[in-house]
Amino acid sequence: MSILLVGINHKSAPVEVRERLAFTEEACSTGLHTLVDGEIVREGLIVSTCNRVEILAETSSERLSDSIERVNEFLSRTDSVPRSFFETHLYQHTDDEAVRHIFRVASSLDSMVVGEPQVLGQVRRAYSIALEAGTAGRILNRLVHHAFRVAKRVRNETGIGANAVSISYMAVELGKKIFNSLEGHTALLIGAGEMAELSARHLINAGVSRVLLANRTEERAQRLAAELGGETVDFADLSKHLAEADIIICSTAADQYLITEQIVREALGKRRNRPSFFIDISVPRNIDPAVGKIPNVFVFDIDDLESVISSNIREREREAERAELIVESEIMQFAQTLRVLDIGPTIGALKNKLQDIAKAELTRQRNRLGPLTAAQETAVEALLVSTVNKISHPLLSHMRRSYDSSDAEAIQAWRDIFGLEE
Amino acid sequence: MRSLLLAVLAAYVVSAIHAVLAFLNKRRALQRVSEWAMATGFVLHTAALIADWAIDGHYPLFTRRETLSFLAWTLVASYGLVLYRYRARPLGVVTLPLVSLLIFLAAVIRPTTPDNAEASIRSAIWLFPVHTTLFLFAYAAFFVVFLASIMYLLQERELKLKTFSAIFYRLPSLTTVNEIATSSTAIGLTLLTVGIATGMVWASSRYGRLWHNDPKEIFAVLTWLLYLLLILYRSTSGWRGRKAAWMGVAGFALVLLTFLGARLMGGYHVFG
Repeated sequence: MSILLVGINHKSAPVEVRERLAFTEEACSTGLHTLVDGEIVREGLIVSTCNRVEILAETSSERLSDSIERVNEFLSRTDSVPRSFFETHLYQHTDDEAVRHIFRVASSLDSMVVGEPQVLGQVRRAYSIALEAGTAGRILNRLVHHAFRVAKRVRNETGIGANAVSISYMAVELGKKIFNSLEGHTALLIGAGEMAELSARHLINAGVSRVLLANRTEERAQRLAAELGGETVDFADLSKHLAEADIIICSTAADQYLITEQIVREALGKRRNRPSFFIDISVPRNIDPAVGKIPNVFVFDIDDLESVISSNIREREREAERAELIVESEIMQFAQTLRVLDIGPTIGALKNKLQDIAKAELTRQRNRLGPLTAAQETAVEALLVSTVNKISHPLLSHMRRSYDSSDAEAIQAWRDIFGLEE
Repeated sequence: MRSLLLAVLAAYVVSAIHAVLAFLNKRRALQRVSEWAMATGFVLHTAALIADWAIDGHYPLFTRRETLSFLAWTLVASYGLVLYRYRARPLGVVTLPLVSLLIFLAAVIRPTTPDNAEASIRSAIWLFPVHTTLFLFAYAAFFVVFLASIMYLLQERELKLKTFSAIFYRLPSLTTVNEIATSSTAIGLTLLTVGIATGMVWASSRYGRLWHNDPKEIFAVLTWLLYLLLILYRSTSGWRGRKAAWMGVAGFALVLLTFLGARLMGGYHVFG
């Protein structure tokens, strides 16, 4: 039994290659039926996202090279994508290496942004497609569930996904740090640039209940307001709206301070000193740095955010090292699980062994039987072998069932009964 | 009931260690162990207090040993409430070791032979135990205010400096610690008010005097004034955040003086 993983990711291949090899969900499901023939490739799973295409397959050890060939053939869509186009970008891992790779993918250690949580959901989806297609069997079930467990451990035991590593997410994280929950809070966007829009979307996802937009060109503000479900406000009335807003994101092209200490102090008086959180992503800055000195007001400009983010990235990298250790120990555990379960070959050997015993006994006692005709000779041997087979058949089929259902406890019992070694 | 108290100590120590480890490693499993150990400790502790009461025949808040143990009990109860209401686990990182220390002291202090007659007389009139109990709960509430204020100040400072240390992400949000401080101030102040009132009524019925000019009384009234000021400022919203937090810290210094006042400066109040 061998596990094989063939794939490309954002590190090994540029997007031109990845997009050619990517599978839609339907293509995954039909593709799996083509790929898994039950003989060369016995089980299969396809993970296809914008950053990676991974084919995970289970095969017998003897037919490993055939199945590598089969997977490559499959990736080339029976030659509609020339192999030379992607071959140099492919990586191939077998057994422990393949297990390590899928564990690292699920734990987001192999992601472009280490620790991002989406990839686990993508692996889950890929698994459920394979389950529906009926191509995830006893080995892949174990493997994928184990990968989920590793991902969970990594997430719980390391801080790999802890701190924000993008500006728009940083706004949410700091907002939560100040306001606890963003629900019931109001955000004000001054300037409707792309970055502001992205931040606003994150804030809305995180529960901000009201979004105000102020833009010099009314038109763009209205379009964005319609998209985000916000309301536009008059640019000239900023100081009034500052009092309503808990989170203010500034991103205009103005070349002077739009928000001065004076107007913030006034707004704060109207807010009864409830804290305000300003994010200034415009260059040159729109918020007077003096605003940051006012109590209960927190101002982050682009450099502040960048420096927090880079320290968060370093923190994630440190945590990733701890995560790799968890992955290593889980690979060993998984190998152990497989060894325990893998008595398939032993069942065959056991059957042969019982027959050999019968034949050996016949040879030993042959002299005492005197001369026999050829037909009689065969009959005696058949008698012995079929007796042995009839007696052992229910046992062996029971063993096979335990093996197929991966019932570790029963398998251990069989091992004990027949004194089988791992 | 020393053996029971040692069991309580063991439970609190286990709880404290797990709380600290959970804080450092962000492990939920450790936190659960900490909370179960604390709950177990609290149940045993309550049993120990009741047993003391039954055996010694007076309300278990009279000798120094009893006071330490009772104070620890109020601290655990308060932390339990904060945990239940706000899930503010980092509070336990300070509270639980402190509680363990108090119980340890209570367990090793040589039991002073209390003036049993006096103790019985005092606990016979219900006003007296009510007075002392309210005070201890008020102290515990102000301790919560103190911790919440410290957590506020730490985070506020880092938000202003825009550099975040490792503990920044482990603390509850500014709003949460602010709320904890506000509501604990209100609770503490209420308890203190009633505590002072019952003390006065009790003193006047026993000694015929409301006020003895004793340092503990003076500090108690100063403390009361300070927290009253704090709550007024908070509710009129002029003071939020940093200033209120500093006041919560400063207030606790007064609380300590009130608590230890009698011992350090004499006076007619008999215990801490």
